[in-house]
Amino acid sequence: MSQNPYQPLNGEIVDIIDESPTIKTFVVVPEGPFKFETGQFVELTLPGVGEAPFTPSSSPADTEKMEITIMKAGRVTALLHECKKGQKVGVRGPFGNGYPIDYFAGKEVYIVGGGVGLAPIRSLFLTLVDRIKDFKSVVCRFGAKTPDDYIYKNTLFGSWQKIAGVDMKLTVDEANGKWKDNVGVVTTILESGDVNIRNAVAVVCGPPIMMKFATLKLLEFGFGDEQIYLSMEKNMSCGIGKCGHCMIGKYYVCQEGPVFTYDQIKDYPDIWA
Amino acid sequence: METVFISKLKPFLDAVAERMDLYVPKKAGDYYVYSKYDPSAEMPAEFNNIRTCTPVKEFLFPLRELAAVFPEAAEPEEVQPFAVLGLKDCDLCSIEILDKVFAEEEFKDPFYVSRRRNMFIISSDCSEPGQSCFCNVFDGKPFAEGGFDLNISQVRDGFVIEVGSEKGKDFIEKHSRLFTKVPALLLTERDENRAKTQNQLDQNNAELRFDTPIKEIVQNSQDSDVFDVEAKTCVECQACTRICPTCHCFYLYDTSQKDYFAKMKMWDSCMRMAYAEVAGGANPNKMLGDRLKHRLMHKFVYFLDRYGINMCVGCGRCVDAEAGDIDLRQILKKLSEELKGKDKKKAKVAK
Repeated sequence: MSQNPYQPLNGEIVDIIDESPTIKTFVVVPEGPFKFETGQFVELTLPGVGEAPFTPSSSPADTEKMEITIMKAGRVTALLHECKKGQKVGVRGPFGNGYPIDYFAGKEVYIVGGGVGLAPIRSLFLTLVDRIKDFKSVVCRFGAKTPDDYIYKNTLFGSWQKIAGVDMKLTVDEANGKWKDNVGVVTTILESGDVNIRNAVAVVCGPPIMMKFATLKLLEFGFGDEQIYLSMEKNMSCGIGKCGHCMIGKYYVCQEGPVFTYDQIKDYPDIWA
Repeated sequence: METVFISKLKPFLDAVAERMDLYVPKKAGDYYVYSKYDPSAEMPAEFNNIRTCTPVKEFLFPLRELAAVFPEAAEPEEVQPFAVLGLKDCDLCSIEILDKVFAEEEFKDPFYVSRRRNMFIISSDCSEPGQSCFCNVFDGKPFAEGGFDLNISQVRDGFVIEVGSEKGKDFIEKHSRLFTKVPALLLTERDENRAKTQNQLDQNNAELRFDTPIKEIVQNSQDSDVFDVEAKTCVECQACTRICPTCHCFYLYDTSQKDYFAKMKMWDSCMRMAYAEVAGGANPNKMLGDRLKHRLMHKFVYFLDRYGINMCVGCGRCVDAEAGDIDLRQILKKLSEELKGKDKKKAKVAK
């Protein structure tokens, strides 16, 4: 029997971090070696309950453990949120294509993220920062509903902002008393002068509506379709390009994605739905 | 290819059944379905003049199967060789399509692959195409020219058996005492029968000839109302995709047993409401018309782009199983006519 792609690797949740009222980060230690590239996704199984696709939020350089940031959104994620440390899980993957980091080298990387979309972006960010000198600059424009809804608050509001070579701006849709930064959706902090478009790539990840308007804004600035990298959320299930659920046109998000250039998918119907 | 002759089917089928499980078509009401061959039965097998009702995918990709057991992985049950009688050219074409997905990609489905490897295919010619058969639109034929181990053609005095593979050749050689040489006359008769059936198919579907490739028709109809209008009678029973020999979408679900957990694989349908829905609630195919459109786009555009062949064999099973009024042939016709109208308008404007 050849390798069974449906067989999960056993793992354990060793730590759980509360990120926001609806989002937690689960630290998972798989039994055995598990390597992934930033932007690829895994299928996380809660035994007997179900599995769901997530892009790890930790750096691929950390091969001991993997962090997966999960928003309570459906049946499986709601039950994952009730789990305690020590919970056994299953992991399949990694699947698909991540961010082409080597291609990003020498360029300005313009990252636009929102909400739980910061999860894949954190993995990318940590990967870029690891070799920050390889990139012209890393320009981050992040948004969340309220300051409380931001995930990774400790690092995001602190150490990440001080890294040389990183230019970061934050915004919230609705501020509270302590918020000093911008108020407004993420497109309100995007400016055409943020990066030199001729030598830049853009990365967008967040809720569908935010991805749509951020992409339109980037196009307005003059970004080419092939310069915009989108991390697409579809109903990935088998992970191996067979079950059909995650199709965008001829592509299986689980195979050719989840990271696509806008150029690859722009002509297909309902990519933002 | 090599051919042999046998006057009665039973000794041949008995010989197959001695070596492996054999599934044969049996009439159930108006249709044929598969059942296990029983040599002692009064009517052990019938020669099906038309495709069976159930699709061949059932043998390779069952409705529900165990995909994984954990935390202790279990060795899957070994698949024993089995034979299927009476598959038609459309069935063989559907296997070619499923092979592309499950057996020829970088990731292979090990369950499909091992069933496929152990399947002995005994196809047969069609003699009476059904009202819903339209395989000729996709260059299908009422007889198979490849993709089988053995193929049977009924002639006046018996059956002409054609060898299509090493496995088939091996079988004939091992049982050579059962067969005789084919008289040339019977080969001529077979060819005449085939031409007659082909003719009838062409006549039945005379109105289904398109000037434009079907891919272009469907691809250029994305903003057409036809999908919404045609989907109005859909009752979401999903019969069309389940009975389709090429539809292969499935979902994985988890179960909890007494001392292990299991991952199961089960047929799914793109006509199901929540098929493409993500946990956040977004769903590109909430509306029935959009689902019907996706089904056609997948079959005639996306699959072709990805694998180089259509994902429809024109077997017409979806037409027979339809609980509402949806008819793939009529949809293609309407889309084609609508496009022709558009092109005329464009030409007028250009003038």
